[in-house]
Amino acid sequence: MIISGQNLSKSYKSIKALNDVSITCSAGEIVGVVGANGSGKSTLFKILLRVMKPDAGTVTINSKRIKPIGGIIEKPALYEYLNAAENLRIFASMQGLETNRQFILDSLIKVGLPLNRKDPVRNFSMGMKQRLGIAIALLNNPECIVLDEPFSGLDPIGIASLNKLITSLATEEGLAILISSHILDELNKVCHRLNVLKHGKIIHSGTTQELLNKSTMAYVITATNITSSSILKTYNVAFKNNQATVIIQPDKISELLQILHSEHIYITSCVPEISMSKLFEN
Amino acid sequence: MKNLIFAEVYKLFKQGKTYYAIAAIFLIEIIILFSAYSQGQSILDVLLDNLSQSFHFEGNLLNGNLLIYLILNTLWFHLPLILIIIISGTLTSENKDRTLLSVMLQPVSKWKFILSKYIVAILFTLTIVLFLAITSFLFSYAIFGKGDLIVYIDTLNFFESSDAFYRIKYAFFFGGISMVFFSVVSLTLAIILEETTKTWIAAAFFLIISNILLKVNFNNYFLDNWLYVKLTDTWQYLFYFEIPWDKIYWNTSLLIVYTIVTMLVGIVIFNKKDIA
Repeated sequence: MIISGQNLSKSYKSIKALNDVSITCSAGEIVGVVGANGSGKSTLFKILLRVMKPDAGTVTINSKRIKPIGGIIEKPALYEYLNAAENLRIFASMQGLETNRQFILDSLIKVGLPLNRKDPVRNFSMGMKQRLGIAIALLNNPECIVLDEPFSGLDPIGIASLNKLITSLATEEGLAILISSHILDELNKVCHRLNVLKHGKIIHSGTTQELLNKSTMAYVITATNITSSSILKTYNVAFKNNQATVIIQPDKISELLQILHSEHIYITSCVPEISMSKLFEN
Repeated sequence: MKNLIFAEVYKLFKQGKTYYAIAAIFLIEIIILFSAYSQGQSILDVLLDNLSQSFHFEGNLLNGNLLIYLILNTLWFHLPLILIIIISGTLTSENKDRTLLSVMLQPVSKWKFILSKYIVAILFTLTIVLFLAITSFLFSYAIFGKGDLIVYIDTLNFFESSDAFYRIKYAFFFGGISMVFFSVVSLTLAIILEETTKTWIAAAFFLIISNILLKVNFNNYFLDNWLYVKLTDTWQYLFYFEIPWDKIYWNTSLLIVYTIVTMLVGIVIFNKKDIA
């Protein structure tokens, strides 16, 4: 295990932002924290990144590197008047890293940033800023990175490309990655494990599949001839164009899909509909 | 530490606002020179009208040395005001843009980071005072030439041209130390208050109060000799007929001690604070 926060608590004046929260993340693992705004995600990540002291609890990072952990809180904070290379150079030089041209180019390539942009980062899209933020977080080779709401403000292409980057950092470089978001679909795509944070407490935790199955009440099945299915008429179903929203338990969906196949219904997608209220139920 | 200092200098000179501030100082200087050029002689005639009935003046009193002395007087309010805006901004803007958080997420020591900000604030302040001194000497002598200096402090004092140059030169030096004190205070206020506008208001208030209290005679040995407000105008002592060097050294030493203490207080507070 690379990082472990045990029994973390933090209060702001009269508000208890975190209440006895424990979380761990191992090398190559992507752990998600899902929660509504104000649930305590940023406070938890600030404590894990050691920029905030907890009122109680401990953070252990099993790394002997100069920079054991890097991260982004809320949104990437960059020197907006500097360009991407200058931002990288200044953050690298502050920590005593040698910054030759090749080093800067390698860092930009690693996160998929264009090499020809010389204008200040204030002109960059949010996706590009997120990438540059990650490049800065990766300076000095940390073993763990913490990304707070990395998908906020990104378009679908930006989200997909960031997902790819995050997954490759975990699988190819073996980084332990902690990631928070309120976009459940995206966490579902990248996270091995999930923690649900509500009012400063972790109310559910487990594998992503396990947690999402528990919160899945229906599936949206898409097929061109979906309305001609006879089996679907025996379910609680709502049709819309070539889609059917079927209320069904996750353990029964594969059986239904097989029957639909035998009925010559040509399915193009089957997407679980996750009930947020169920996920956030205590 | 060296890397942090270089990074701070780099950031300072990469920001447009730094150049606006330098331009503002330069503009103030130009306005003073222009005003003196267009109306200076008539104002001087009014001021010296009574004296000219009893004394005979030789040479032109509206000369470069008088103009440099007038520019030097921006050390009362204009220059420290501009300095506190820039210096406090080096931290409050990092707070606002959250780059402070990004820096603290790197393996950078908190106390070394803030100490490097103080060091750069001091170097920048001294550079600005030096810039003001050099440009005012250059422009004033070029436009108005050299001449005897007339200064009113309690009474009218006349200094020969070479003596005036010597006094003004040291006045800039000791004035620079006062400016450093105000810069350090403004950075410490930025650490405490974090937010830009609050820091500007507090720092400007500090400057105004300092100028008001400077004129107050407390009739108390400790307050009149040890209170910081009585130490920030030391550069004015250079224009007494007899320069009170002992008093100047004492005041300057004490002000340096206060500056260091203010810095240490700021470093301790910054170290204890969570980075939000």
